[in-house]
Amino acid sequence: MVSDDLLRTHLQELRRGTVVVASLIALRRPDYGYALLQRLTAHGFPVDANTLYPLLRRLEEQGLLASAWNTEESRPRKFYRTSDDGETVLGRLLDDLAAVQTSVTGLIEGVER
Amino acid sequence: MTSLTDRYLAATLRTVPAPRRAEIADELRASIADMIEGRTAAGQDTAAAEREVLTELGHPDRLAAGYADRPLQLIGPTYYLVWASLLRRLLTVIPALVAVAVGVLKATLEEQPDEAIGAGIGAGVQAAVQITFWVTVAFAVLERTRTPLDLPAWSVDQLPEAPAERDVTLSDTCASIAFLLIILAYLPWQHYRSWVTDADGANLPILDPALWTSWLPALAAVLVASIVVEIVKYRTGRWTWPLVGVNAVLDLAFALPLGYLLLTDRLLNPALVDRFEWLREDGNTEMLTNVSVVVVAAVTIWSIAESLVKARRHRR
Repeated sequence: MVSDDLLRTHLQELRRGTVVVASLIALRRPDYGYALLQRLTAHGFPVDANTLYPLLRRLEEQGLLASAWNTEESRPRKFYRTSDDGETVLGRLLDDLAAVQTSVTGLIEGVER
Repeated sequence: MTSLTDRYLAATLRTVPAPRRAEIADELRASIADMIEGRTAAGQDTAAAEREVLTELGHPDRLAAGYADRPLQLIGPTYYLVWASLLRRLLTVIPALVAVAVGVLKATLEEQPDEAIGAGIGAGVQAAVQITFWVTVAFAVLERTRTPLDLPAWSVDQLPEAPAERDVTLSDTCASIAFLLIILAYLPWQHYRSWVTDADGANLPILDPALWTSWLPALAAVLVASIVVEIVKYRTGRWTWPLVGVNAVLDLAFALPLGYLLLTDRLLNPALVDRFEWLREDGNTEMLTNVSVVVVAAVTIWSIAESLVKARRHRR
């Protein structure tokens, strides 16, 4: 029987890069940290707050996200949106994700044959 | 009193680089407020919600490391192997050299031979600690500055010769040779500096000086031959039957004369025996002789048996 810890480790490994992909997609519509967290969770990308907030910051520094402060509401919030560079990178990442899916399918079918 | 959130923000921002501090503070404060609001909207008490949110965000230093993109390890996988091999190389040579150098200087220049070994070991340990500390500090800095090392990539040419065939390791050989050299050096050493003095304060050799014209040169020659055997054995890489034979002859050539000299009371310096009442007392010399003979016999038998076992094991 595979231990839960081991399973969790492998699932974490598998999920690691997908948070970036999901964030870049979701932020095509500008949003602030907490709202993004909830949207991602609602769409099946559960992510820890202490992972997501620093990640947004780093993606912004890498130029993949652009940001602007929204002071119209009662609480000023920093809104992020996917930049042009971010869109380019996202395109490549999505291609690769599709390629992984294709390869896995091919492999599964190859084994079954 | 400041709120938990204020304290959490202060603890987190303390280690975030100053230029970004204000902005991260504003954003994190808003995010925490959003998270608390999300929980109170579901009917939770504000204080409890604040505690839960901050607990969820975790250790402030860990969060700060995420913001600053700082590693949470002293030396990561990029540098670890280089660090380990450099440290291994430095530690196998330098502390020993320092220890020997300091010991020799202490014994000769400062003329305090009785403190030489202690001073040497102390200096060697200090050298090892210093090397380990500074090398580690240097690599920890590299890890944080992410300096590329530009070392040549590993290639298959660096693979060592297959080590499985080697029964005789370098460390074993070095230890054996060092041991033989110490015994060899002790023969003249005890003659000039035994730290036993006669009534006039002159040095009293431990071994009978008369032996220098008969047995001692022969024993010294056997020791030298044993060193040669150790070197040949290392180069061969294992025990062969000729080596077992030569080793047994040399072991016996050392042990038999030694036992003979012990049993006939000719090994120790008679002047030394005269000087110590305890040695002159009835039975004491006999006991010392018997114990010594047993030890010599045991060491010799062990050495020959070990070589036989190892040579046989290799044949199978």
